[in-house]
Amino acid sequence: MLSRIADSLFWLARYIERAEDTARILDVNYHMLLEQSQDAYQLRWEPLMVMAGEENLFRKLYSEVNAENVFEFLAFRHDNPSSIVQCIAKARENARTIRDCISREMWEDINGLYHMVSRFNPTDEIVAGPHRFCDKIKFGTHRFHGVTDATLEHDEGWQFLRIGWSLERAEMTSRLVDVQYQNLLDELPTLGTPDNHQWMAVLRSVGAFEAYHRQFHSSIEPEKVAGMLILQPLHPRSIRFSTTEVQSGLRAISGTSPGSYANEAERLAGRVVERLSYDKIEEIFKQGLHSYLNELSDMFRLIGSDIARNYFYYAVVA
Amino acid sequence: MLTGLFSGYEPGNFYDEMFSSAGEPRACYANVFQKLSSMAREQYEERRKLADLSFLIQGITFTVYSDGRGTERLFPFDLIPRIIPNTEWRRIDRGLAQRVVALNLFLQDIYGKQCILKDRKLSRALVYSCPHFLREMVDVEVPRGIFTHICGIDLVRDSKTGEYCVLEDNVRTPSGISYVLENRLVMTRIFPEIFHASEVLPVNHYPAELWRILRSLSPRGEDDAQVVLLSPGIYNSAYFEHSFLARQMGIELVEGRDLVVDGGIVYMKTIRGLNRVDVIYRRIDDEFLDPLAFRRDSLLGVPGLMGAYRAGNVALANAVGNGVADDKAIYAYVPEFIRYYLGEEPILRTVETYVCAKPADLAYVLEHLEELVVKSVGESGGYGMLMGPTADRKTIEQFRSKIVQNPRNYIAQPVIPLSRVPSYDVSSRRLAGRHVDLRPYCLYDGQKVTIVPGGLTRVALQRDSLVVNSSQGGGSKDTWVLRGEG
Repeated sequence: MLSRIADSLFWLARYIERAEDTARILDVNYHMLLEQSQDAYQLRWEPLMVMAGEENLFRKLYSEVNAENVFEFLAFRHDNPSSIVQCIAKARENARTIRDCISREMWEDINGLYHMVSRFNPTDEIVAGPHRFCDKIKFGTHRFHGVTDATLEHDEGWQFLRIGWSLERAEMTSRLVDVQYQNLLDELPTLGTPDNHQWMAVLRSVGAFEAYHRQFHSSIEPEKVAGMLILQPLHPRSIRFSTTEVQSGLRAISGTSPGSYANEAERLAGRVVERLSYDKIEEIFKQGLHSYLNELSDMFRLIGSDIARNYFYYAVVA
Repeated sequence: MLTGLFSGYEPGNFYDEMFSSAGEPRACYANVFQKLSSMAREQYEERRKLADLSFLIQGITFTVYSDGRGTERLFPFDLIPRIIPNTEWRRIDRGLAQRVVALNLFLQDIYGKQCILKDRKLSRALVYSCPHFLREMVDVEVPRGIFTHICGIDLVRDSKTGEYCVLEDNVRTPSGISYVLENRLVMTRIFPEIFHASEVLPVNHYPAELWRILRSLSPRGEDDAQVVLLSPGIYNSAYFEHSFLARQMGIELVEGRDLVVDGGIVYMKTIRGLNRVDVIYRRIDDEFLDPLAFRRDSLLGVPGLMGAYRAGNVALANAVGNGVADDKAIYAYVPEFIRYYLGEEPILRTVETYVCAKPADLAYVLEHLEELVVKSVGESGGYGMLMGPTADRKTIEQFRSKIVQNPRNYIAQPVIPLSRVPSYDVSSRRLAGRHVDLRPYCLYDGQKVTIVPGGLTRVALQRDSLVVNSSQGGGSKDTWVLRGEG
């Protein structure tokens, strides 16, 4: 497989995942905040910007943080490189450069998704609220996963897709937990009691609300929520699950057996999986959740850059 | 009396491919005419929308980047097919094959022994003054002696004589075959009942045939052949076609940055290191192929590629240097090539061409600018052209001085009134005659020429326009060659 193709598959998957994650976070938070007091309402939009990693750009483009602006910024702005429409456009652009390597069904699906997204009129959608839009995005990205799974050979190209979306998901979930927890700590002095709604929203945004209740029944405790999102071995959006996916993908490509590694990315992924398999949530809180998640984020970044160095942009000595 | 979609249809003063005279369909169109006549406008419109949607979903679009965000346009597709009866096609087929073989012999000769120059059938000055005659190619032994693997020869039917004639040979990197194959696919879905009734020859063996030829060029033998398609990338207007063909042939689609030359061998960069490449179907122009040999600022090419090619370590299709045969002044001599190399008379007519490099022709052209089409020898796609009969005084005078300054750069031809096919006019919602040309795709394996029946019919959708290029509002039609006469 050409290095450039692998690179495009990897990024195609990352952009699809980023679009979905942004849609989930936007949808859930928007509706949760409708039930909040005015003060809290203003305050709570900030973390979303931090999560998207674009808070500086937002401040440059808007004078006020409010629901409409945040929605427009995260969903529609062409000058926000992480907006949902931009992610879908870039995913499609990547798909277009490798049309000959993906199935016809995959191409038509992502192309259809792109045209659907382009047809949305931001002004109408802002009036209607983000649910309709976000739902379409979620449905669209899920369908793309399904089409990919059902029509593409599960060869090394497929593994690069798998690594792409799993790595993106691990990063996004890690950022989501970190930001929400920071936010909660900041607010404790003013609000007095920890706010369960926000953690419910976190669970909803990764589709783990029901799963949480099945496991822990009613009470929403920040520690348990964080524990679930970080350490749960079987929930498809937990950091542990996603990192294990990255590791399996990398091994499938290099053919390395468990217990050894062929490159730095594999070594780091293995190390993260080990930690997540044997750490307990109490220990994580003892170390400090923020510093723990920060370490994970650094690892994910290193894994990403080492995949690129190994497979996409290696030096050719001619 | 014509009704429905055909109401008010006038064949006019042109050769009409569907009607022999007003209201009288030709035998080859009998089926199609009957089905269309019984079709309501709404039904037709519905099918037209289906076809457009199908092209949009498949991403068969070209991109216009003028607005900064990149707007995608459909290459307009007209549902009324262009139909060619079998005997007529067989003559075209023979004529094209003859031409391809002669052009190949010419290129072998001009980059080899140059007999045609020594025998004074063609002037040295004309050849050496062509910017596409590449000294880098002199005495290069191209694999299996093939230069013209793929030609997209443009034909038009002259309404005055009803005869097909050749307008351009396009022996460099002709595009459009993907539209032939996709148009056909869409037509069979949109008009299954018409297809069923007419016996149409299939076209979809093109990729397999091209693949067979490409493989056969491999310096390491067919079985180990690593064949790739070299594209300028996603921003090229023909990118859809590049990926389409790569997919159909199951070969890797590469860009210049995917390739590297080491020790005279071409490799592609894969996730497992370097893999040797044997054959490159390149869709990049000569001048951008290798920054070490040609344009130094080319980012699309591969440094060292020409060295590898000249050493025989990699095959390129089409061969480098073919542009000399596409020079419109050289075009005028193709009938002479056919006589000189094959000892045959040309089967297809060539448009009468005045070569301004010849003093007598120049004098005639300057006298008759108002009647002629003047073309710049190196341009194609409808650029750099003067349409004498419709141009204003000022434009004519501008061209006159350009011609006088650099006669070698111009040729002139009489205006050919192109034949017409009924096509759907969106504003009046009925069929009207629109001018068409035809580009068949010819594949040459060194022994025989294979041409998929038909080719790309381009249609000038603007009323009265003779320009069929997609950049100038042209569209396309499915082209049917019938198993019989209709």
